[in-house]
Amino acid sequence: MSPTPPQLDSKCPSGPISERWDKHRFELKLINPANRRKFHVLVVGTGLAGASAAASLADLGYRVSVFCIQDSPRRAHSIAAQGGINAAKNYPNDGDSVQRLFYDTVKGGDFRARESNVYRLAQISNQIIDQCVALGVPFAREYGGGLANRSFGGAQVSRTFYARGQTGQQLLLGAYSAMMRQVGSGRIALYARREMLDVVVIDGVARGIVCRNLVTGAYERSAGDAVLLCTGGYGNVFYLSTNAKACNVTAVWRAHKRGAYFANPCFTQIHPTCIPVSGSYQSKLTLMSESLRNDARVWVPKQKGEPRPPHNIPDEDRDYFLERRYPSFGNLVPRDVASRAAKERCDAGFGVGTTGLAVYMDFRDAIRRDGEGAIRQKYGNLFQMYAKITADDPYHVPMRIYPAVHYTMGGLWVDYNLESTVPGLFVLGEANFSDHGANRLGASALMQGLADGFFIVPYTIGGHLAGRKLPAVSPTDKAFEDSERSVRERIDRILSIGGKRTVDSFHRELGKIMWDHCGMARTGSGLAFAKQGIQALRSEFWENSRVPTSSAGLNQNLEHAGRVADFLEFAELMIDDASQRSESCGGHFREESQTDEGEAKRDDERFSYVAAWQHEGVGKESTLHREPLAFEYVRPSQRSYK
Amino acid sequence: MSAPSHDAGSGRMRITLKIWRQEGPNRPGKVETHFLPDVSPHMSFLEMLDVLNERLIASGLDTVAFDHDCREGICGACSLVIDGRAHGPEALTTACQLHMRHYSDGDTIHVEPFRANAFPVLKDLMVDRSAFDRIISAGGFVSSPTGSAPDGNAILVPKPDADRAMDAAACIGCGACAAACPNASAMLFVAAKVAHLALLPQGQPERERRALAMVHAMDEEGFGSCTNHFECMAACPKGISVESIARMNRDFALSFLKEAPDLPTGSSVG
Amino acid sequence: MSRFGKALASSVGKKIVMGLSGLMLLGFLVEHLHGNLKLIEDPSGAAFDDYVGFLKSFGPLLVLAEIGLGLLFSAHVYLAFRLTLENIQARKQRYVVRNNRGASTVGSVSMFYTGAIILGYLLKHLIDFRLDPRFFDAPHAAVQAKLSQPGHAAVYLLAAIVLGIHLSHGFRSAFQSLGLSHPRWNPLLERLGKFVAFLFAVGFAAFPMYYLFIRER
Ligand SMILES: Cc1cc2nc3c(=O)[nH]c(=O)nc-3n(C[C@H](O)[C@H](O)[C@H](O)COP(=O)(O)OP(=O)(O)OC[C@H]3O[C@@H](n4cnc5c(N)ncnc54)[C@H](O)[C@@H]3O)c2cc1C
Ligand code: HEM
Ligand code: SF4
Ligand code: FES
Repeated sequence: MSPTPPQLDSKCPSGPISERWDKHRFELKLINPANRRKFHVLVVGTGLAGASAAASLADLGYRVSVFCIQDSPRRAHSIAAQGGINAAKNYPNDGDSVQRLFYDTVKGGDFRARESNVYRLAQISNQIIDQCVALGVPFAREYGGGLANRSFGGAQVSRTFYARGQTGQQLLLGAYSAMMRQVGSGRIALYARREMLDVVVIDGVARGIVCRNLVTGAYERSAGDAVLLCTGGYGNVFYLSTNAKACNVTAVWRAHKRGAYFANPCFTQIHPTCIPVSGSYQSKLTLMSESLRNDARVWVPKQKGEPRPPHNIPDEDRDYFLERRYPSFGNLVPRDVASRAAKERCDAGFGVGTTGLAVYMDFRDAIRRDGEGAIRQKYGNLFQMYAKITADDPYHVPMRIYPAVHYTMGGLWVDYNLESTVPGLFVLGEANFSDHGANRLGASALMQGLADGFFIVPYTIGGHLAGRKLPAVSPTDKAFEDSERSVRERIDRILSIGGKRTVDSFHRELGKIMWDHCGMARTGSGLAFAKQGIQALRSEFWENSRVPTSSAGLNQNLEHAGRVADFLEFAELMIDDASQRSESCGGHFREESQTDEGEAKRDDERFSYVAAWQHEGVGKESTLHREPLAFEYVRPSQRSYK
Repeated sequence: MSAPSHDAGSGRMRITLKIWRQEGPNRPGKVETHFLPDVSPHMSFLEMLDVLNERLIASGLDTVAFDHDCREGICGACSLVIDGRAHGPEALTTACQLHMRHYSDGDTIHVEPFRANAFPVLKDLMVDRSAFDRIISAGGFVSSPTGSAPDGNAILVPKPDADRAMDAAACIGCGACAAACPNASAMLFVAAKVAHLALLPQGQPERERRALAMVHAMDEEGFGSCTNHFECMAACPKGISVESIARMNRDFALSFLKEAPDLPTGSSVG
Repeated sequence: MSRFGKALASSVGKKIVMGLSGLMLLGFLVEHLHGNLKLIEDPSGAAFDDYVGFLKSFGPLLVLAEIGLGLLFSAHVYLAFRLTLENIQARKQRYVVRNNRGASTVGSVSMFYTGAIILGYLLKHLIDFRLDPRFFDAPHAAVQAKLSQPGHAAVYLLAAIVLGIHLSHGFRSAFQSLGLSHPRWNPLLERLGKFVAFLFAVGFAAFPMYYLFIRER
């Protein structure tokens, strides 16, 4: 394999892995407390990553401006996370440790993550819990008053902390409140209903952003000494996903066009337990928390076209396919494995429901064992949500579930400092290519977002601010003017197309292409086909889409159009990435690369690297750079959950 | 409801919508009538509005603006008053979680924005709820700078307290309480946050100060005051109880009797 | 403004004063009712006259108590007007269609109107007795003279009912405003409120009824 290109220096410290972060923190430059207020940091996004970063930086004394799309920072998509957050506290005394969380994460990610980063994440995990408790997050408790834990997503230990089925909400409200305290104190300026549309790079360093004010339609320039992108994942490239409607690729894509490399874009996570699609009007999919699998058994009828209602089908006519295929992990196999198994059954014609694209998730046995009360106690709100959407009562009829796009492991490439290939541009949370390799374990995204924001960037940003010359810049500088012009021109162009098709119809069509060819299973020929389809769709978009002009600045269709335009460019990169990686790993399943039993087959010889893409222009082939991955502490092995 | 009805019969419905249209803040608004001939009972209410908007685009008209994001009842973005009720007819249900199966063929449905002076209309059904953020920034937090926390289990919290704190913390900040309140009061929202933190040991040091600061901030935003109609609780999609309001009033009354530090000044929510 | 003053002037502060003053007025009504009952206890009227005489014997202290009561009333009425106006102001653009969810009650939505009626009635009541110099010469006779007239009696009857409606919400509400609430006791409080309202309505209605229908026969 070729040597790492110089741009892709991960800056991982050397030495024993357990000492690397300490060593690195010691080596990072510090900024005198009195000088910190001279630096202005722009934080884009107010999810767990952005809110925690903004709060922590303001605590340190930096001046901070935060931006988000929603009307309130509290509505960032992190709010929707249900299941929980991992930490290596080992409170249940069941053998957990930093080492084990590290090991599980590297293995769960199918050996496509950086060891140093993952180890640091595991180390920091405990501090996150402490911080969140201090902020008043009402985690579930045992009767003795201590924090409760549960096992989640197939982990062999109980390391997941949770707040009913609303862990993301409670964590975000904690981080949000910490941030709002600093808004109150005047250290943070908050700009809601703003969409970042460009990063301004001056002398090679990220020095500002240009936003559109979503209420007035005005373009707003902000200059600063560092830019933090905490803008979440791009799962909505599939149109239907469990992501909130505003989730987008726009922020990171515009940064990519300004020089930030995009890493592993094809690594997406398909979550096995979502409420199936019910009609063509469907606008999004709803996740049923993975925690349900702790008490549920997943099955399909043994007979195709089984006419009996599920509760009348006796056990001998049911195929508990996860238990059958994976006797030791059973219903708790990792997400990618569970999703593919469900798809396999449905493709083979055993799916249930009118569409045949669903399997049963049944609580009958758990209710018999523990009683309906106990199940209600644990999952009441999830059952209620399910009942509201489907009008079925999951206490008596098994839930119907099907996999859906849920999380994107890919994202902007960052080094150990979370800095992208554009100096001064840091990327946090789901927006970076992260520590989850090719598959994320349940309850690890919340952990990573908060680790990045609370405990990593506040230190590593010092290296940038103290280490580089940052001449004064002003929003009236030419670079800002140029950036605003390009943003304005793109929007004016969208408004002037005046075609016939709605933006939503383009988005749906793109989503279908991606789901069919770059979803749970991928093939070389399918990807090539998809690439053509995307290119054609993109040209049609620019000729035939229709966005109503609105007298006032507020134009939700225009916002959507801008995001879809970016998805249409980005999708092609996803396809390229999936094509070049002809191995299967984690959530990326290439049909060409499977074992005899139909399990994913990695090819470490050829693909043990991070694929980092450099933008060369829309419609031009991007350049692939490879950051090799070395595994010193966890021996790569074929994952097996038999 | 034991028989699966998820994808039972399609039974298309004809629905007439009477929707509030308003071009911008401080502009006059009016009710506009639209007819949808083909609404599926499995659609969510917002998906029906999506369908309406697709039709409006096709006929060259501006779409109906409304806030939404998660569409699963947790982000608190959706904010519709449907037939005179915040979040619509179903109890404990946000507008995004309301499904059309609760309506019948031929129904006429009125849709308006949340109304309160403190929630000015931005466009159509979309309002500005940044007042809530300013109230939180005045005191809805525990002052615990990053890095200063003791071990999570150093603070023991009795399970019943944790559970009740969670009940109050479940507030999604949607503002339906204020929209439903005959006085446009935001007491339930404010009280939910005050109660959440007052029920936990972490919240004690700033307990009274928080209640005072948040109530003052609420008043400054121009919300009405609570006269205990309890319409808020009936409208709240998360079942937040007015018990929280009593708890906050108590903290507030007690704070009269105590020496407390000055309240913070000024915030910058742009 | 001082911190205390600011807190008092806040929405919750005002409500606390409202609740306190309401409950204190209620306390006054208890005593008032107790005194009035002597009208029925002793049809000769002697007991009532003695009672009025007893009150009168306090001299300046009585005046002081009345001033206190007046202030209490003024505070309650002043805040009632302010809160009501502010609350109307808080939603300038009204709903085109508005439905409640059955949590608000006749009592809760009519507080201002029932209060205003009580206020109007109170003025009449004061003019009828307290401010009439002849009253103290023969209290019982004065009461009998007024309440035997159907027109006057009807006003007193109406006022009693309106007071009941006011209290049907006010009693429970005052506890909530003062933060005296507990999930276990709230349902009881709710019922107690209705009961108290009923008691006062019947209690005060008893006098016009008595003079109108029983005493005349
Ligand atoms: C339904 C669901 C359940 C989940 N459950 C779990 C779980 O149980 N455990 C777990 O660990 N993980 C879970 N996850 C994953 C996890 O929630 C997310 O990965 C994580 O919250 C992402 O946080 P973030 O801060 O990176 O981004 P987000 O929370 O997505 O925040 C993005 C922010 O960026 C802003 N933004 C985006 N684009 C722009 C732009 N162009 N301009 C300005 N602002 C912009 C948005 O307004 C928002 O404030 C779940 C995810 C989903 C979808
Ligand atoms: C003997 C006379 C009265 C009694 C015993 C009484 C009692 C009460 C009580 C107990 C409350 C509840 C307070 C709370 O919710 O905290 C109340 C509220 C109220 N009263 Fe009275 N009241 C009397 C006279 C009046 C008068 C004369 C008015 C004049 C307008 C009035 C107007 C109101 C209003 C508007 C409220 C509701 C205010 C709010 O909840 O914000 N009341 N009263
Ligand atoms: S208290 Fe209920 S109605 Fe009010 S903002 Fe919170 S969730 Fe919405
Ligand atoms: S859209 Fe998020 S709660 Fe309705």
